[in-house]
Amino acid sequence: MVLTLVSAAVVGWLIWSVYFSPTPHEPEEELNEPVWDGDMREGNAPAPMWWFWLILGATVFSVGYLMLYPGLGSFSGMLNWSQDARVSNAYEHYQNQFQPVREEILAASLEELQSSSERMNTASRLFARECAACHGRDAGGQLSMFPDLTDQEWQWGATAEQVEQTLRSGRRASMPAWSGVIEESQIEPLVDYVIAMDDSDAEQMPGRAVYMTYCVACHGAEGEGNAMFGAPSLQDDDWLYGGDRASVLTSIAAGRAGVMPAFDDRLNDAQIRLLVAWLTREQ
Amino acid sequence: MTGMSLHKKLEENTGLLIFGILVVSAIGGLVQILPVLNQESLETPTGSTEPYSAVALTGRDIYIREGCSVCHTQQVRPLIAEVERYGPYSRSGEFVYDRPFLWGSKRTGPDLHRLAGKYSDDWHRVHLLDPRSVIPESVMPAYPWLEDAPASEVGDIQKKMQVLQRLGHPYTQDQIEAAPQQLEGLTELDALVAYLQQLGSAVSREEAP
Repeated sequence: MVLTLVSAAVVGWLIWSVYFSPTPHEPEEELNEPVWDGDMREGNAPAPMWWFWLILGATVFSVGYLMLYPGLGSFSGMLNWSQDARVSNAYEHYQNQFQPVREEILAASLEELQSSSERMNTASRLFARECAACHGRDAGGQLSMFPDLTDQEWQWGATAEQVEQTLRSGRRASMPAWSGVIEESQIEPLVDYVIAMDDSDAEQMPGRAVYMTYCVACHGAEGEGNAMFGAPSLQDDDWLYGGDRASVLTSIAAGRAGVMPAFDDRLNDAQIRLLVAWLTREQ
Repeated sequence: MTGMSLHKKLEENTGLLIFGILVVSAIGGLVQILPVLNQESLETPTGSTEPYSAVALTGRDIYIREGCSVCHTQQVRPLIAEVERYGPYSRSGEFVYDRPFLWGSKRTGPDLHRLAGKYSDDWHRVHLLDPRSVIPESVMPAYPWLEDAPASEVGDIQKKMQVLQRLGHPYTQDQIEAAPQQLEGLTELDALVAYLQQLGSAVSREEAP
């Protein structure tokens, strides 16, 4: 505040000294000064008046500005303007503008949303923006790491409620690393059994006993999986991390810890509902 | 008179003239700099802003070394479009432990200030090693060497923390002593991912914008 006022005072003094207090010239001093065009020498013509009016106008403007807007130290200005309030108000207005549509979406049933091509297009764009980086543009999964969302296999459950839960809170799978827990000699038979599980004669395989000791708690007696823990079914041919021997061996020995981030605070309720409808639609 | 002769002296003596110019421009600079030095909002950490952990600090140095800030900004501007896309706009108090800040000035890639938690660690790994394996249309370069370089060799972490401590970052002696141990066995990739995963997490999204 002091600085602003001091600067203003200095500018005022400068203008005053230029226009209203011309320095008188001593004749003997003028003798040594350069002269141009016959009679033009330094300090013998006043600065142009338009320049004075320009500065006066700018001064009036800045006084008004400093009264209305923050600028004078901690004085917040008569309009009480702040950048934060500007964004908050604009954001609120923006949110309100979409409120009717959001309420419409939240009131509609999943089937209604799924049968509306307009809603599904919105959801598809939303998916491209928020989800495609991991699951791919076509939702077909990527890289033996990010699951395919177009198939029937849902690690954390396929119902709308489960999918919504996955979206909102994220998921944190934790397949432990069994190397060191299961004896080295028993891991190979276990891999054989897990791969051959859906065959009819798998019951007789030596790996079954190991499976029933360590794996059954999460993946179930028949390898049916458990959506509660995100334990995938081992019966089918769908392998997120690869179904070949080496991949299955790595999964068992080193463990897997897939993470789905939480979107609860990134997306609003209507957006999540649209995504749930889009993901659970008939394909 | 005196005013005129002082003017004359200044005009005819180059050294004095240079000095005079410096004084005048220094006043212009000081008027802008002095008030900022005392501005509380620039020194008070916002939300849960804390000094970087040893791992995140190392990741930050890698971020600087690889020039990430050339293509990525770290400032969500107070505009609806940005707030809607990235999250709450950046507060000045979030950068109190950034020396130097990495706001950047050009977005070839997206802003990264509210990146924390948006992707999983695994995604960051594959994406840094080979961006096009997850985003086919990406123009980001790959950084495969991060995977092989140990994080403990990115400068002397204890020295770094001591210097920052002297500059006023509230590191405790315990934190500085434990730092090398925390970097033990980590690669540069791990450190960078740790840094990215805490970016902008000090401000809660529920308080948006």
